[in-house]
Amino acid sequence: HASNPSQSSLSSRNAILVSHRQKGNPLLKYIRNVRWTFADVVCDYLLGQSSCALYLSLRYHLLHPDYLYYRIRELQKNFKLRVVLCHVDVEDVMKPLLEVTKTALLHDCTLVCGWSLEECGRYLETIKVYENKPADIIQGQMDTDYLSRLTHALTTVRHVNKTDVVTLGTTFGSLSNIMGASMEDLARCPGIGERKVKRLFDTFHEPFKRVE
Amino acid sequence: MVQFHEHIITDLLDDSNGGLVILSSGLSLSKLISSLILLHSSSQGTLLILSPSSPSIKSKIFFHLKALNPQFHQVPSEITADLPAHHRHSLYSSGLIFFITPRILIVDLLTNKLPTSNIAGLIILNAHSLSETSTEAFIVRIIRSFNRNAYIRAFSDKPHAMVSGFAKVERTMKCLYIRKLHLWPRFQVYASQELEKDPPVVVDIRVPMTKYMVGIQKAIIEVMDACLKEMRKTNKVDVEDLTVENGLFKSFDEIVRRQLDPIWHTLGKKTKQLVSDLKTLRKLLDYLVRYDAVTFLRYLDTLRVSESFRSVWIFAEGSYKIFDYAKKRVYRLERSDGVKLNESDRSVKNKKRKRKGDGKDSEEVDGPSSTSSSTGLVLEEVLEEAPKWKVLREVLEEIEEERQKQDVAREEAVVEDEGDDNGIVLVACKDERSCLQLEECIVNSPKKVMGEEWKKYLLSKLQLRDVVRQKKKPKDPKGFGVLDGVTPISPAQNAEASISKLEHDALLAAASGIRVLAEKDCVVEDPPGLDSGGRRRGKGKGKVGSKNGPVIIDGSGVHNSKKVATRAMHGGTNIDNMVLRKHTSADATISTNVKPLPPVHFYALESDQPILDVLKPSIIIVYHPDMTFVREIEVYKAENPSKRLKVFFLFYEESTEVQKFEASIRRENGAFESLIRQKSMMMIPVDQDGRCLGLNSTVEADLTNSQNSITRKAGGRKEVDKEMQIIVDMREFMSSLPNVLHQKGMRIIPVTLEVGDYILSPLICVERKSIQDLFMSFTSGRLYHQVETMVRYYRIPVLLIEFSQDKSFSFQSASDIGDDVTPNNIISKLSLLALHFPRLRIIWSRSLHATAEIFASLKANQDEPDETKAMRVGVPSEDGIVENDVRAENYNTSAVEFLRRLPGVTDSNYRAIMDGCKSLAELALLPVEKLAELMGGQKAARTLRDFLDAKYPTLL
Repeated sequence: HASNPSQSSLSSRNAILVSHRQKGNPLLKYIRNVRWTFADVVCDYLLGQSSCALYLSLRYHLLHPDYLYYRIRELQKNFKLRVVLCHVDVEDVMKPLLEVTKTALLHDCTLVCGWSLEECGRYLETIKVYENKPADIIQGQMDTDYLSRLTHALTTVRHVNKTDVVTLGTTFGSLSNIMGASMEDLARCPGIGERKVKRLFDTFHEPFKRVE
Repeated sequence: MVQFHEHIITDLLDDSNGGLVILSSGLSLSKLISSLILLHSSSQGTLLILSPSSPSIKSKIFFHLKALNPQFHQVPSEITADLPAHHRHSLYSSGLIFFITPRILIVDLLTNKLPTSNIAGLIILNAHSLSETSTEAFIVRIIRSFNRNAYIRAFSDKPHAMVSGFAKVERTMKCLYIRKLHLWPRFQVYASQELEKDPPVVVDIRVPMTKYMVGIQKAIIEVMDACLKEMRKTNKVDVEDLTVENGLFKSFDEIVRRQLDPIWHTLGKKTKQLVSDLKTLRKLLDYLVRYDAVTFLRYLDTLRVSESFRSVWIFAEGSYKIFDYAKKRVYRLERSDGVKLNESDRSVKNKKRKRKGDGKDSEEVDGPSSTSSSTGLVLEEVLEEAPKWKVLREVLEEIEEERQKQDVAREEAVVEDEGDDNGIVLVACKDERSCLQLEECIVNSPKKVMGEEWKKYLLSKLQLRDVVRQKKKPKDPKGFGVLDGVTPISPAQNAEASISKLEHDALLAAASGIRVLAEKDCVVEDPPGLDSGGRRRGKGKGKVGSKNGPVIIDGSGVHNSKKVATRAMHGGTNIDNMVLRKHTSADATISTNVKPLPPVHFYALESDQPILDVLKPSIIIVYHPDMTFVREIEVYKAENPSKRLKVFFLFYEESTEVQKFEASIRRENGAFESLIRQKSMMMIPVDQDGRCLGLNSTVEADLTNSQNSITRKAGGRKEVDKEMQIIVDMREFMSSLPNVLHQKGMRIIPVTLEVGDYILSPLICVERKSIQDLFMSFTSGRLYHQVETMVRYYRIPVLLIEFSQDKSFSFQSASDIGDDVTPNNIISKLSLLALHFPRLRIIWSRSLHATAEIFASLKANQDEPDETKAMRVGVPSEDGIVENDVRAENYNTSAVEFLRRLPGVTDSNYRAIMDGCKSLAELALLPVEKLAELMGGQKAARTLRDFLDAKYPTLL
């Protein structure tokens, strides 16, 4: 393995520790954004202090249906996050995926599916890289400029698109004017047809609660 | 009633089991339904009609019922969720007729609130939108299992939608347990004989388009063609369907999407962009013939700003022509011939030109006059009028002339059928906007209309300059707060700005000229101080404030027509009202030199009203040709054989408008031919009782004996002798999963859940996300929040990622993954979710059916869930639990979602806001003090108020 990085103990902290079992797995080629090194670990990939991953190809699972269970049992309770990284490499997924799902779920593992070795590799990389990352990118913080926020709000109304947002904005000048616009005024906007007019008007004027 | 409707009904009643009727669009499905309803008698039991998604067909049915039989007392009412359960129960047993939404019906069926034995039958009006997994199919299956005598009658007047996909009719019939298919194309013998016996007089007028319109149309088609060629290169779609003619129809998107959907996630950005570009271009073609030159240009400008910089078409070769010609229809730029014009001199001229308030000297305004800026470019107004406008006027004048002649003739010799001809002239356009504009064209003059549009256009240009200025002066309070001062300017915009800075200056100069004057003219009416923010406008639908831009430019003249034009667009319930407002008397025309015009009614085809039966017009001008409306006219004529009826068609010669109209007829005929072929080869299985069997013939057995159905799973182990139960959130009945779970033999318990969508056991709670939902709720942060609460309340919280059977089973192609870890990738988001919630379990499901299998297998060793417990989870204790609460029915969900997306509104204060104020419109008017009270803080209130009042940054 030419790509095998140095094995100094200093770097192993920031590297993925790979079980010797994984020797020869072509997946290793796709771990490129993070260093990795072979080590004696009970899981396949040690991704952080308390997170680990087991790799399973569905094709392999079809040949050895009990493999996953024994591997999970081996892990015992040493990890907070236990990922079963499942490579979906068969056409007919229904049955094998059902079995893997059930095993993972009932034995406290998080199932992650990848459809290519690149994708599987990327999950390993990402979990390692994001080990200490806060969750803000999935907590709904979005662009804070006016237009993005306005678009974000107005596009809750079905079928209203970005072009419509610009039309509404330029026509009425401000959001409060848009919200107070009459049906006729809305209908005069190019590109906003009967259905959109009605949806917009109802969103603004129908009471929040239909029944008291 | 037309005779072929009688035929349809006789045929349909022949089979007590029910049937599927497909008829041509425009052959008045609503009348047919009304006639059918009239035959219902309460001794048969209760008749339920599933509410269609568009309210207009319902209101048309009411109208025809009243017209057909004013004494008919059984006018159907609506069963809604806010009726208490026992009340609903008594209605179900009453033997009357009711409209009901599928969601309420399925919930009442599942909770045994509906005595199925009292049901006479079910009417479904949108057969084309059904599938095996839709709620309607679910409903029919349950009704049929309990009451074998109930009939199911399904209808559709969208034949082309019935042939999309493989053997769609047959599958639809099977899932409704229907054996008989009735096809009623326009070319069916009875129908065509009756409609063609005494056809109306038709005058077909072909209006030539202007040179630039032809140029634009050609350019758009060229660009479309180029996009299609690009698309073919991708080798992802069947080339045969990719023609420009197909591209004219909305259904083209469906054709393309149906082919691309299975591989959608694997497509590159470029292909996806092409699909959306084609849609944009199709709209442009339509707007070219529908909108006036200025509005069209304005729309193009808007597009340029809002389209993503990735869009292919904007940079295509031909697109330049589209923009160029569109501009030339509105104004021309000429270099002033060497002599540098004195600016102050010019602006004086300007003022003179625009000072016209009383509309008296409007002629002066409209002549090709010029204005200039110091740059030496002369802006010359062209303001090309739509050619149809003139023709419409001529037709109206001709009609009036004819009429006056007749009046004279009638006075001389009193003619016989006087009462029949009421002289009403109806002009039918596609949309409301065209109606209003044409009305103004008739009442005022086309020139004036163009002038108004032009002024609005210029003013919107001017606003940009203001915004730019404001940025330089940071002390200006407007535009701040949440508006953090950054106006995103797209690259296209930048390019444009540099190319035509001179042109831009000229436009701005013209605009400021207008504004200076307008402000002077309107000081009394509209103090400029109110412009931004403060103004409260138009609470009621009738009030017409100034529309575009903050300045009322010209208050005169327009008022009359505005009052007449007071809207009544309320879902079409208020028909009489609508008719009244449409009545524009020609007397309002102040113009001196024009010939008199007859009274005219304008009607927007979009609003879908029984206008012909309400108005009984004797002359119809079809301004925008539409196949459905043509058929409606035919039916109207057949029903009123004694009436003299004249129909004018206004087509743009050699336009895509004509092409589209003709193609729509061809397309429908093609659909029917295919349906006839399918009918001849159809195989519908029938059981011993002569009843039709659905797709899954074991279903009925499952229903009565459902515990057996699970034994084949879970490795043949013997299951507990009890029916499996799943608690399902009410809102989930929008999806098909409850139906499929039920098919698998599980008992579905619908309740309102605060946490999760499906409760499989006391431990397992599932949040279901389709792929699209998954991406969206990651972006909005909703998923994070949902998982957070699930983790709090359940031992095994589960995220179900549900792929769609007919789409690819993967997120992205290997080539889309990229080289680096990037925060926007779905992989990164999922990884982050797993890291933050290590207890969260994830199910990856190939399809609905796979999900059902997985649910069943997960439940195998678990206890059954407890519904009262599940309902209490996560509900704030003071709220308590309302029985039979169907949340989505009780809340204006899009308003609530909208509210929650406003700045300053948080999970903790939105409920209080909804308690303290009725609607969003009301919220928009609340002063900041009141908001602070509701939102529990000055800062939040200030943030919200600023956002509401922030001046929209004009980018044009």
